[in-house]
Parts: sequence; C-alpha cells; structure tokens
Amino acid sequence: MNGLHGIIFSYEKEPGLRELIEHRMPASIPFGGRYRIIDFMLSNMQNAGITDVGIVLHGNYQSLLDHVGNGKTWDMSRKYGGLRILPPFADNRKYGGDGFRGKMEALAGVRSYLEQIRQDYVVLADSDLIINIDLDEVYDAHIASGADITCVCTANYKKTEDATFCVLGEDNKVAKTLINPKKPEGYHCLEIYILSKELLLRLVDECEAEDKFSFRRDVLNAMGDKLDIRAYVFGGLAAQIRTVKEYYDRSMDMLQPRVYRELSTAARPIRAKEDDETPTYIAPDSTCVNSLIADGCEIAGDVENCVVFPGVKVAKGATVKNSVLFKGVTVEENAVVSYVIADKGVTIRRGGKLAGHESYPMAISKGSTI
Amino acid sequence: MKKECIAMLLAGGQGSRLYVLTENMAKPAVPFGGKFRIIDFPLSNCTNAGIDTVGVLTQYRPLELNSYIGSGQPWDLDRDDGGVHILPPYQSATGASWYKGTANAIYQNIGFVDMYDPEYVVVLSGDHIYKMDYSDMVAAHKKAGAACTIAVMEVPWSEASRFGIMSVDGEDNITEFAEKPKEPKSNLASMGIYVFTWSKMREFLIADENNPDSENDFGKNIIPAMLGAGEKMIAYRFAGYWKDVGTLDSLWDANMDMLATGSGLNLFEREWPIYGRSTSAPPAFLGKNSATHHSVVTRGCVVEGAAENSVLSENSVIEEGAEVQYSILMPGAVVKAGAKVAYAVIGEDVVIGENAKIGSIPDGAEGWGITVVGPETKVPDNYELKANHMLSKTMKEVVR
Repeated sequence: MNGLHGIIFSYEKEPGLRELIEHRMPASIPFGGRYRIIDFMLSNMQNAGITDVGIVLHGNYQSLLDHVGNGKTWDMSRKYGGLRILPPFADNRKYGGDGFRGKMEALAGVRSYLEQIRQDYVVLADSDLIINIDLDEVYDAHIASGADITCVCTANYKKTEDATFCVLGEDNKVAKTLINPKKPEGYHCLEIYILSKELLLRLVDECEAEDKFSFRRDVLNAMGDKLDIRAYVFGGLAAQIRTVKEYYDRSMDMLQPRVYRELSTAARPIRAKEDDETPTYIAPDSTCVNSLIADGCEIAGDVENCVVFPGVKVAKGATVKNSVLFKGVTVEENAVVSYVIADKGVTIRRGGKLAGHESYPMAISKGSTI
Repeated sequence: MKKECIAMLLAGGQGSRLYVLTENMAKPAVPFGGKFRIIDFPLSNCTNAGIDTVGVLTQYRPLELNSYIGSGQPWDLDRDDGGVHILPPYQSATGASWYKGTANAIYQNIGFVDMYDPEYVVVLSGDHIYKMDYSDMVAAHKKAGAACTIAVMEVPWSEASRFGIMSVDGEDNITEFAEKPKEPKSNLASMGIYVFTWSKMREFLIADENNPDSENDFGKNIIPAMLGAGEKMIAYRFAGYWKDVGTLDSLWDANMDMLATGSGLNLFEREWPIYGRSTSAPPAFLGKNSATHHSVVTRGCVVEGAAENSVLSENSVIEEGAEVQYSILMPGAVVKAGAKVAYAVIGEDVVIGENAKIGSIPDGAEGWGITVVGPETKVPDNYELKANHMLSKTMKEVVR
C-alpha cells in the first residue's frame, strides 16, 4: 500500500469563471472533450497508487457529486478507505457557514477525518488544476529530501488569477512566498503539497488556535523559518483554471499534439466517468480538422479548432471554429459560430451567427437556445 | 432466489470462419463498430429487456472474453442476486468433458439454471448484431402457452436454403423445421434465439443427453425432438436489423451498415443503448490535414491522414499521408505515413508500415475480396497485400 493519502479541495468560488459555474463548482467544469477538471487530480492520485482520497466540499456541489459518484471510475469504491466526500458541517458547525476562508479552515472543519487517515503522509491538492503528474515521484522526492513540506512548482507560468509564487533558495528551499503579486517572481506554485499526517494535524491545530486560515499565507509564508519547506520543480504542463479566458486558452492548448499527448499519456491515463456513447459519425461532406471530438457526435458541417464533447450535433452547412461545445450542444443548419464556449444542451438555431473574440470568448449558459 | 426468466448465452464457438481474427479469441470477443465487441449486443439486449441473470457458456479461448466481461458492471449486470456468470466446462466426480454441442452446454449447467428456478430460459448466441427486446418475445411465449418460441425473420427466397427454415400455420405455430433445406417451403429463417419453458426444456435436454446418436445441438436435435413430440412451438416474427457476423464478409458488411442510414442498424438512438467496456482514452483527435468523411471515429483515434467510408476503433491511428477507404481498423491499429488501405479488416494492434499497400478497390476482376490482417501483425514498410489475401502475425500470407 502506498503511504500517501489524498485530500482535494473544492470550495473556492472563482467568480472569474462566470457562466461556467452557474450550475457547478470549478471542479466539475467539463474540460478537454470528455473530462471534468477534477478527473485530472483524481487520476493522478490513482496512478500514484493512492487508494484513499477525501474531497473537501463547499458550494453548489450537486454536479460534482453526480460526477464522482462512489469513486468507481478511479477504482476508489473500496471496502476500506476509497473515496470519501467531506461536505461542510461533516464534523462540527463551527466552520463553513459562509464558505471556507482558506485551506487550513477547511481542514479544521474535517479534523476528525484527518485523525483517522491510515497513511503517514498526505498530499493536498486543488481541483482546478489541469496536470498529469507522477505524484509517486513527488512523494519519493519528499522522503529523500527530508523536508517538512514539499510544494510542487513550475517555471512555466501561464497567466492565472490569484496565483501563488515561490522564490527558491539553495536546495530548492522556499525562501519567500508571494500571494497574487502584481509582478510574478520565482516559480509558480501549483498548490500541491505533501507533508506528514502528524505535521498536518499540528498545523491545523496551531492555525485554528490563532484564527489563521490560509495555507499559503499562514503556513508557507509565515512558517518559512521554522519549517523546512522545499519545492519540487515540475517540468510538464500544468494550468490552474480560474477565469473564462484561462479556461478557453487551456482548452485551445489541448489541440496542440504535444499537449494532447502529454495529458493523455498511456502510462498515466486520465479517467473520466463512462458516457456509454456510440462512436462519432462524420458525414461525407463535412470538414473536421484540428479538433478533439468525443463520442456520440454527429458532425455534418465544418468544424475547425474545436473541442467537442459527447453527443454534439453540427448540422450540414453550419460552421464552428475556435470553439468549445459541451455535451449535447446542437448547431443547426447554416449557423456560424466562433470563439464560443457553449455549455451543456445549448442550441444554436438555424442560420444563427454567434461570435466572441479570441481575447474575450463568449460563454453561453447551460440549456440556452439562441 | 427465484427468477421468472434468465438468459443463457452460447459463447463457446471458435468462429473458425473468421480465420485469423479468432486465432486467439472467441468470436463473441471480436471487436465491432469502433468501440464494441460482438457480445455487447446480446448482453445489452438482456439488460435493456430487464433480464438480470445471464449465464455465458465459454469454451474456446476464453481469456479475452472473461476479462472483457469481468464483473459485468458495464452492462449493469454486477448484481448480488443474479448478474452475469461465466460458465466454462468443468470436472465432476464422474469425469470431465468439453461441451459437446449447444444443447450439451446447457445440459451441463442444469444446476446453474435450477439455482434460479426460472419459468423461462432465453437461449442466445454470441455472434449476432441486432437490437431486440427479449421481454416482448417472452410475453408472446407466455401468451401462447408455448413450450418453445423461436425468433424468425423473413429472408429473400433465394437465400432461404442457407438458414434453418420454419414452416408455420395461420397462427404462427411451427409445423415443420428444416436445417438448410435445398427446396425451402417457407422463407422464415431461425435467428438462433429461443425462449423455452424451463420445465420442458429440462426434460428434453436430459432425454437428448441419453440419446447416444444425438449431436446435442439445439437446431439439429432439440427442436426436431420437441416438434416430433407434439409440443406447442411458435414463431416470433422479428423485422428489425439482424446480422450473423460469423464470416469475414458479413463482419465487414455489418460494420459498413453502421455508416449506411438505410441499413436499419442505428446505434445512435438512445432508447436501446448498447453498452461496452471501454478504455479511458481521450477524445478522437483529427489533425490539421485530416480528411475524414463518412466514417466513424471514437476515443483515442488520431487521424492525421485520410479516412473514407471506414470504421476507426479505439486508439487507432492514421498518420499523415496515409489513406484508409472502406475499411475497419480494429482497436489500436496503426496505419503509418503514406500507407494505403482499401476494403480491408485490420486486426487489433496491427501496424501497417510506411507506404505499404493493403487491399484494393473492387475492379471487377475475378478473385477480388476483402483483405484481412490478423491481430498484432507488424506489416513491414512498402509491403503489398493483395485483395482477398489474409496475413497473420507470423507473416503467413494466404488467399482467403
């Protein structure tokens, strides 16, 4: 058994995601043609041999619950351990009335769960991160370095709302932590942390006693002198999704074969809930290029530079470019669509014209007819 | 616990007429339609019809099939009470024997059926592509008070001599049965789908086993014996899409039917879904220069070249400059740059080398036919495999 336990946070509201979070948490936003964002972290954990994972929740999480179910998709439907959903007030009513102010507060809210963790080490991660990372390797690095806390950082910063940065000193020791700085400095912190269960419990208690709630401010930054905090520098692709623009840009990145291959490497597959769709049919006169197309679609029009989710219909004569079409979107005859993110079940009527701009993609709410 | 109706699925056959495709797996495990396997059709029909207990009788090369069925979860057949059960031949106190025939396979599992004490048993084969509501057939069986109901469909008179043919009276009572008759008296062909009243079936299975001259086969022995004994047997008419995919040509045909709206094989309608165990691959990626037309693609496909009138299965790849026409790429097949594939069935995990040429478009010449490459074959660069030829993993090339 792997000595790591997973905790995934899904409580941040991220207002920059606008229409995309009207009916869901950022964790369950569809991404990459068949995934939900949380699938990446759950699969990373599964691929590292982690069997026990808790998801700390707050907000409109119904869609997330529907998606993760009993955890079967990630082989986490187990007799002992497995996937555990940790809703607010799971433990006591002290925290969570208006949402959590930070990770340490969210953890204090599930303290009795933390006590029962069977493993000696815990990996904390957010649910808004697109990444395919070997967490087992991060764990090994943590043990080898003897650090108190290891945080995963990257040198490849992509513009992200409310980003955290770590300035590194000798031996990758974190010298300084910057929270949402005007000017990025050092490495972009991906907010994946590994530490021992014992230290985690101690930190939760210490922070609680002083009404401190932020991991990055009250632990990473404030305890830099007392604790050995080191960075694991990750060289692959990673992106936090916190605004519609970030969502759109990262979706379009998926159309680069290099990105597509890295995120879907057969060695560490990303698993998504089975959709039971039939294969996709591409009609004789359609042109379908540079696009990701999920199952169950019927493509009769022209599709270029798009990410297309299951069950989408693009009728003859319709043109869709540079767009993301969620599950069950219908684009009727001769409609012209570009720079659009169409949420689940959107219908774009015959002859309709809809255009956002590369700098401001248009997000259309779930179920709308245009 | 008692069940009103259970299903027994005959999945032990080798499917020798699929040649290289079934060298290492039983016919029901052969991939179909991009992301399915043949057995998904009867299993999905069972779960959609509300039959939650299915015995799958296996014998030939069962590994692939066993691991594919697993717990039965993809078909919602992982049940505490019932569910899907793999039933291989077994050893007993009096000795061990292989399944001698279709009827013997069920005879050897009378104990399994008795465990559920069913009123009716549906007997299915694992080599047909169709969507059918067995609960409707069972209802017809009950209503008629029959001992056995056989699903039939009208076939063109010219082809009737290839099938088991039923003659019926005005109320669709079966009066005569003839296996592949030279001069057919009817054009109602048996689809190899039966509903039996279990108490009757049990009697006839035991009597058949005690007859040393019997081949222990449903079509050859059980059905004629029941007719001879004057049991009430009725024909259940089916008019939807149904195809036996026991030959390479019919397997290719049925895959192509997925692309033809007029064929009646509609896998898109959601009323009667076909389930399958699928891989966790990402969505299909169609590259900048891909030209994909009138084809199906599915998860894991990467198409940088051209595909026309083809079925591309999970994780199949068409590299830039390669062309695939009127062909089936089974899961994991790779067509390298510049290769040309036409009118072919390319097995699982095959690699077609650069600039190789596999099969050809029908030119009216004598001896033309579908070209087949067996699973896991690595076809060298520039290799040419003529129409109607078949190549296996060991690079043995034969004319079909």
